[in-house]
Amino acid sequence: MKIHKYDTVIVGAGGAGMRAAIEATKRSRTAVLTKLYPTRSHTGAAQGGMAAALANVEEDNWEWHTFDTVKGGDYLVDQDAAEILAKEAIDAVLDLEKMGLPFNRTPNGTIDQRRFGGHSRNHGEAPVRRSCYAADRTGHMILQTLYQNCVKEGVEFFNEFYVLDQLITEVDGVRKSAGVVAYELATGEIHIFQAKAVIYASGGTGKFFKVTSNAHTLTGDGQAACYRRGLPLEDMEFFQFHPTGIWRMGILLTEGARGEGGILRNKDGERFMEKYAPVMKDLASRDVVSRSIYTEIREGRGCGPEGDHVFLDLTHLPPEQLDAKLPDITEFARTYLGIEPYTDPIPIQPTAHYAMGGIPTNVQGEVLADNTTVVPGLYAAGEVACVSVHGANRLGTNSLLDINVFGRRSGIAAAEYAATADFVELPEDPASLVVEMVEGLRAATGSERVSELRRELQETMDANVMVFRTEQTIKTAVEKIAELRERYKNVSVQDKGKRFNTDLLEAVELGNLLELAEVMAVSALARKESRGGHYREDYPNRDDVNFMRHTMAYREVGDDGSETVRLDYKPVVQTRYQPMERKY
Amino acid sequence: MATPVMDKAEATAKTDASPYITVTFRIRRFNPEVSEHAVWEDFPVEIDPKERVLDGLHKIKWDVDGTLTFRRSCAHGICGSDAMRINGKNRLACKTLIKDINPEKPITVEAIKGLTVLKDLVVDMEPFFQAYRDVMPFLVTKGNEPTRERLQSAEDRERFDDTTKCILCAACTSSCPVFWNDGQYFGPAAIVNAHRFIFDSRDDAGEQRLEILNDKDGVWRCRTTFNCTDACPRGIEVTKAIQEVKRALITRRF
Amino acid sequence: MSTDTTPAVGPVEGGHVHDVDNPAPLIEPPRKRTGRTPRSTRGNFEMAAWLFMRLSGVVLVVLVIGHLLIQLVLDGGVSKIGFAFVAGRWASPFWQVWDLLMLWLAMLHGANGLRTVINDYAERPTTRLWLKGLLYTATVFTILLGTLVIFTFDPNIR
Repeated sequence: MKIHKYDTVIVGAGGAGMRAAIEATKRSRTAVLTKLYPTRSHTGAAQGGMAAALANVEEDNWEWHTFDTVKGGDYLVDQDAAEILAKEAIDAVLDLEKMGLPFNRTPNGTIDQRRFGGHSRNHGEAPVRRSCYAADRTGHMILQTLYQNCVKEGVEFFNEFYVLDQLITEVDGVRKSAGVVAYELATGEIHIFQAKAVIYASGGTGKFFKVTSNAHTLTGDGQAACYRRGLPLEDMEFFQFHPTGIWRMGILLTEGARGEGGILRNKDGERFMEKYAPVMKDLASRDVVSRSIYTEIREGRGCGPEGDHVFLDLTHLPPEQLDAKLPDITEFARTYLGIEPYTDPIPIQPTAHYAMGGIPTNVQGEVLADNTTVVPGLYAAGEVACVSVHGANRLGTNSLLDINVFGRRSGIAAAEYAATADFVELPEDPASLVVEMVEGLRAATGSERVSELRRELQETMDANVMVFRTEQTIKTAVEKIAELRERYKNVSVQDKGKRFNTDLLEAVELGNLLELAEVMAVSALARKESRGGHYREDYPNRDDVNFMRHTMAYREVGDDGSETVRLDYKPVVQTRYQPMERKY
Repeated sequence: MATPVMDKAEATAKTDASPYITVTFRIRRFNPEVSEHAVWEDFPVEIDPKERVLDGLHKIKWDVDGTLTFRRSCAHGICGSDAMRINGKNRLACKTLIKDINPEKPITVEAIKGLTVLKDLVVDMEPFFQAYRDVMPFLVTKGNEPTRERLQSAEDRERFDDTTKCILCAACTSSCPVFWNDGQYFGPAAIVNAHRFIFDSRDDAGEQRLEILNDKDGVWRCRTTFNCTDACPRGIEVTKAIQEVKRALITRRF
Repeated sequence: MSTDTTPAVGPVEGGHVHDVDNPAPLIEPPRKRTGRTPRSTRGNFEMAAWLFMRLSGVVLVVLVIGHLLIQLVLDGGVSKIGFAFVAGRWASPFWQVWDLLMLWLAMLHGANGLRTVINDYAERPTTRLWLKGLLYTATVFTILLGTLVIFTFDPNIR
């Protein structure tokens, strides 16, 4: 076991982690722990763009952007945070450009912008061109640019280090972050990182769904590490389903395809979004489009022999436009479906995409231990966090914005905190939980297999807590997850070695997924309303009287060692916009 | 996880015959905790030929032998984790469909060449990233920062578009015969990433990067075998990029 | 799915016993990248060598084809070649320069080619040193000897 000491430790090297690292490295001694090489992070899969009211191609301002964000989030957005997001978006984009990001350009050489779902002119009048983009590889370019700047700044990376535990020490009655415990994949060694400040930027939890655009590695490790240590998780019931995933595979096809003029059609060739969103049509917000697609499918207008998908039609767009603006997604269609998008429509279905919820933070990225108390020295940014700028449904292009704005803010805040704070003493035997977890799994001889449990989890999540939910389906999921968690205690791994034991880590990751799936299902069960990404068929309307509040889920351990999820609620910050009916 | 995908969405009634076939994966195994020798091991797998090689590897890992070790993440060709040598050619396992590589014969899978093998298909990527870091892969500018964005015409942006696609998967570098024998060679990927900045009209450090690549282990070691261009899963014209850097070194115009 | 696996190559006899705490050495490539690469370059030698290969190649095509035509094809072909023929040609400074150029370019071109082959394929630094030493000695020797012959050729030697 090795002990390292750093001022700031960042967990995760995706967009948010590296944006934070660039700031933190300039101000403090910083280490970035990442379970993947930084350029493997899933930020690179983002395609469409990054919203900012640059007004390079048409009139726009950040206030309209704030409104769209609040409305897109079905008014569950904390409006002070959304304002910061929209205001700082402009500098966030310009900063990236100055770091070298190769944006597409307008004829006069400025950053080009295109339309995207839910982004509108003057509070919903018409779609606006707000998304700054680099073909359909914006996320790739952001990830590469941030990594390049990390190389330039000399950021210290610990590649293939899995953070499995958050260390918290109580000092004078205040719970403070003391550091993290990490498992080195190459050697199987356990490392303690004592740090004045810790920033979580470890991404989402999408892998508890079967059809998902998320990478195999998105298993909610950061959320689980904090949750296990008694910190709350906010709004976990809100999960975004992206309307256009490749049928059955879930691979993302950007909303930019519809921004460029692509149309969704049912089996009759009808442009069905006209019925559901007369103004924004195919560019309504993602939750609306995903529900519309499933409504078409349920009412028998789906395509294919099983009627289980619809088409994304790009055939009316000139091939040159597809080549210039959407080269990657057209290639995906060719590679994985054998379809030529110039001439044939692409079969799509909604795919699990983004966790709106996560570790609750304030606008500085400081993690909250309850509705108001900050955990000194603990920060979170990106998909792992819930600020909450996305509320009940995130707008397309706002996640790339989120990682840059709040990645930067938390990087600065953490480093400045580390400059004044002292190291917090490590708890006694700091590695005990991780050693127990890892060695327990290595030595286990149970009969359950990780892959089988994961498969069952994913199937039950897809069947029961996806786009449409009811009391009945969520209860089914809760029961199934409880059963799987019980069976998980009896799981064993085949690889007993120390080097690159990915078998072992998949088991650890499954544990995280099961824990977070339970939080999600329990949170969803209690929210008896429909809002944004959370749609209850038994409660189809939004209920602002009872549920205009954030869910806060805590892990409670009973005297007999039994675990339960305790729910609490946190008020929503509202500044300028009163809740209105949400129409597109 | 991955489910079979039908060739055409319009395909009418499914055929009764199962789409599954038995494919043999012949995998080069190496585990230093067991033996100093690498051995080939055969795994018969029931799989739909329209699935990816990565799906086959997952089936083996999840259902047969959990000790099989490889890197993967996004599973659709944008993270660059799973470059490996499949039937003797460097490819991404997640971008190679079984049907495209003759499933009649055993499919050989081994680690990419020229880098230290750590376990099974996992290699030490550090020397690869070292070469990348050595070419100053970041924008360097002189003078005062503008308040807004730097301007760049669409043509200037297009000039280096091809090389911005690189995902650092190492498929090119580890397919290069020069690199196989001499790891001191910067390798195609590093040169591609230097190219991306040398030809960026906003950048002011092109001369420095060219000097670095003028080294005896720089671009002049390229023998234009085109293995890199063939291997690139992103379709980057790697050899062309290397030649453009050579030309820039001679003419000093870029 | 079948769960049995057949190793295509069985365990090798006589291997050492390795386990988790006593791992085997890793499989290293021939020459791994070492440490930090130098920031400054040693002049433009490699570029000059690369350019020289291309330019000398073009010139050699002309020289060699011309040489072959005269020696083997035109004016009676190979049967005409004798001491007198050579002596007659080298009486002219033009042919002296032609042959001298051909000698130098061909030798340097070939030697540089071999140098890259040695760089690419010789794995150990000492092997490289020896092979290159041998190559350079042979090249210098041949060039000097050839040059000497061209300039000191005496048609009346008999």
